[in-house]
Amino acid sequence: MTSPPVVAAPPEAGRLGNYAGGVTRLVAFAADIGASWGLFTLGLAGLTFAINLVTGKQVNLASRQIVALVAIIIWEFVYFAYQWSLAGKTMGMALLGIRVVATDGDPITPRQAVIRTLALPLSFLLLGLGFIGILLNKDRHALHDRLAKTVVVYSWDARAARLRWLAKQEPTTPA
Amino acid sequence: MSPVPGAGRMEQLVEAIAERVVNLVLDAIDVNALVSQVDVDGLVDRVDVEKIIDRVDVQKIIDRVDVDQIVARVDVQAIIQRVDIDSLVEQTELGTIIAHSTSGIASGVLDVVRAQGVGLDDFVARWVNRVLRRSSADWPAGPVKLLAPVPVEVPSMDVAG
Repeated sequence: MTSPPVVAAPPEAGRLGNYAGGVTRLVAFAADIGASWGLFTLGLAGLTFAINLVTGKQVNLASRQIVALVAIIIWEFVYFAYQWSLAGKTMGMALLGIRVVATDGDPITPRQAVIRTLALPLSFLLLGLGFIGILLNKDRHALHDRLAKTVVVYSWDARAARLRWLAKQEPTTPA
Repeated sequence: MSPVPGAGRMEQLVEAIAERVVNLVLDAIDVNALVSQVDVDGLVDRVDVEKIIDRVDVQKIIDRVDVDQIVARVDVQAIIQRVDIDSLVEQTELGTIIAHSTSGIASGVLDVVRAQGVGLDDFVARWVNRVLRRSSADWPAGPVKLLAPVPVEVPSMDVAG
């Protein structure tokens, strides 16, 4: 048995493992906000219905603003931190084919997922300047990426997608 | 030494004459013309190739070949690079197999959405670099571990077994 030769991956192998760009990340984030709000609304409606059913009183949780605000903050934290620590990607990121990894490419730890989630609002609070690194930095680091020592990469193989697309075309008859 | 006196010299003389004669004859003969007259096909027809092959111990020859060494010398990646996978997939049933295994409208839509996203990412990055008058050619494409060379396992081939 010979030792396995090391062959460099061809450049046309796709974007797998490359740093993800700002547009993809923005769309993924928008999808996540939509998904998390949708799930929160559904959960809140379900909880309100259950309370009304059990107590027999008409309670409207959405009208209690402080409670709703606290609940949404906790929910958003759980939504992002749990999914990042579990699979390195949220639903929106899975949709767009990107994931979060440690700066060296290893899967992120639950600690990094929590730090990233907590630091994410900071990028917004600085008038969005926390995100400028995605456009300017070599490794497309946002502020929350830098604090959590993470990067976002494509987990989607463009070449495989092209082959799938080609496979669905009618076979051409050879000349 | 020959028992007959003078036989040695005679022998040398005969050898010299013979050598000279042979050279003269060879010079006089047009070998090409001679060969062209030979019916090579006829000769080949008379050769029983099957019998020759029967005599050869092929297994013994194969046993002497170090297949591992040959495979190790082969640049598999270079061969793969020369294969036009796109055309292969287009023209063979392989395409249908891949389509069946991964088909679905959802995956097609996802591919399109993602491809658009990647395209826009590149577009934005190009413009940012243009505005900042810098080149990203030397920048790393991604984390080291995710872009590290992929080890290709070369299977051991046991021919003798």
